[in-house]
Amino acid sequence: MKSSLKNSVGIMAFIFLLCGCEKQEDDEGFRFENLELAFEQPTDFPALNNAFYANKPTQYGVVLGERLFNEPKFSGDNTISCASCHNPSRAFADDKAKAIGIGNRVGLRNTPPIQNMAFMQFYNWDGNILELEKQPLVPIITHEEMASSILEVIGKLEQVPTYRELFRKAFGDNEITPERIYRSLAQYEYTLISANSKYDRVKRREGEQFTEAEAEGYRIFQQKCASCHATELFSDQSFRNVGFPVNSDTQEAGRARVTGLAADYMRFRVPSLRNIAYTAPYGSFGQFATLRDVLDYFDKGVLDAENLDPLLKANGNRIPLSEKEKSAILVFLETLSDEQFIGK
Amino acid sequence: MKNLKNCLVLSLCTLALVACNKNDEGSVANNLELQFQNTFKEQTIVLGDANAGSATKNTSANGQVHHFSELKYVLSNIRLVKADGMEVPYHINDLDKGATVIDQAKPASLFYVLSNVPAAAYKQLKFGLGVKTDLNTLDQLRFPTFYNTAGANDTKMMWEWGTGYRFTKIEGFYDTDNKPLSIHTGSTVAGPEGNYTQGVDAYREITLDLTTPAQVGARAPRITIKADFDKLLSGKTNTITLSTGSTSNDNATPNIHTAVQMLKFVDNLGGNGVNDLSGIFSVSKVDN
Repeated sequence: MKSSLKNSVGIMAFIFLLCGCEKQEDDEGFRFENLELAFEQPTDFPALNNAFYANKPTQYGVVLGERLFNEPKFSGDNTISCASCHNPSRAFADDKAKAIGIGNRVGLRNTPPIQNMAFMQFYNWDGNILELEKQPLVPIITHEEMASSILEVIGKLEQVPTYRELFRKAFGDNEITPERIYRSLAQYEYTLISANSKYDRVKRREGEQFTEAEAEGYRIFQQKCASCHATELFSDQSFRNVGFPVNSDTQEAGRARVTGLAADYMRFRVPSLRNIAYTAPYGSFGQFATLRDVLDYFDKGVLDAENLDPLLKANGNRIPLSEKEKSAILVFLETLSDEQFIGK
Repeated sequence: MKNLKNCLVLSLCTLALVACNKNDEGSVANNLELQFQNTFKEQTIVLGDANAGSATKNTSANGQVHHFSELKYVLSNIRLVKADGMEVPYHINDLDKGATVIDQAKPASLFYVLSNVPAAAYKQLKFGLGVKTDLNTLDQLRFPTFYNTAGANDTKMMWEWGTGYRFTKIEGFYDTDNKPLSIHTGSTVAGPEGNYTQGVDAYREITLDLTTPAQVGARAPRITIKADFDKLLSGKTNTITLSTGSTSNDNATPNIHTAVQMLKFVDNLGGNGVNDLSGIFSVSKVDN
């Protein structure tokens, strides 16, 4: 009884909270009432990004954000929405090696999944964005993505009466501003929490157990992978050069492109492994078709570099893994699939 | 009661402002024109494609021949300093009114007219190469004119992933086999988020002493500024050898985006902010 109650609370991570809502009435008698959604931190998840506290999800903010997330009018030719690359059934990533924008333009990197964003301190492969609200403008204006501008987008949204109404419900009046677009998109994304995989249910002692193979995989994972894929996000959110095949695009420099530090050259953020089975291909530009390819590569040996991660250096530039160990790790990684999140 | 007091204070301030304005009408504000000459040493730059014979060639301190096909940079945060040291800002927080893109391919862009400059004798000119961090957000709503100028297809002075402007954009060719060179500068500053700020600031403040004071008043003076791009590779701070490739040390094409390599060009172009406050810029003359 106790565990099923807890479970349903977990499922409804966001429920309506009756206090702390904004209420006001305008002269047309429209009563502005937008409830802040209650938020429950999943067990042992890392701390929230500070930006979350300044833009907590609200009932209508999230409704608007979801609608905008699926709106192709964000792209210059009205063909691509956020959801085109951030596909819910693939943990809000896609199956392309590199992101594909309007007119089949090819981007620089692999589309990252959108999940558990509220708990991240850095966004994107190189961590160039620190607050989720600052992210939406990037794909909107990037030539290889949506190739539009925020005022062009607003001009199109203003033609749709429903949006006027949605903005009014979310923000109190029907004005469509860049800030409101960014905030509602971020609010929606904050609600995309994946914390109900088999792994979570086992961890929370909700009655499920790992199979023998999964338990063995978890044991090996903890030995060989968990130094970087740490915490309940399965990423320690650090930036590392793990000697993967290098993106030959001259725009690519990894984290060094942001920080200007030579030590950050071709360092990338350790990706979360939650829902990893849904997000092939893998690597910053989709170098690997399958997870087994990734494990094979680590086993065979990675590219050397001056700033290669010390953990790899100390191990002869590889993570030695037997075929049996690889299979066990892959079985364990399947337990990080959150079918409820994927919508299956 | 308190409200009444506030009203009174406000009215007094307004009166004071009006009074000031009246005083100013006594002296004449006028234009001040900035003219930019982009050169290699003393030679004005002529742009050209890889094999264009007409393009101005330059040779770096390390012996690399090079020429440009494209040359653009952003000016903002312009201030004039009076003889007594007082600074007169020129729309420093309004990119639409106080910032511009200098584009060697557009002769008109080489002249930038500051209008309604208060009458005075000015001894010094200060400006920013690039856009200071607080305004460098690609805010189309706030500064649509500058946003459109910088973002135009033939300008491309936006740095999308950094959600900021490109401060310098140079395309060209180097060495006898005309390998492409592509040097883009811009800031990647993000934050503060909590106590954390990241990224590099490629914005540079330029301070130039005027050869003779610019007398704004009855007449509209013109200040001619030389931007010597010889110093891009052979600068006061760094002597740079271009190389093409995909390692972190290669710098000729925009893996320049490794902000590591970029900063060497930034310090040559706009000074290192410590003992070089002028970079490639100098005042060649003041016409009163």
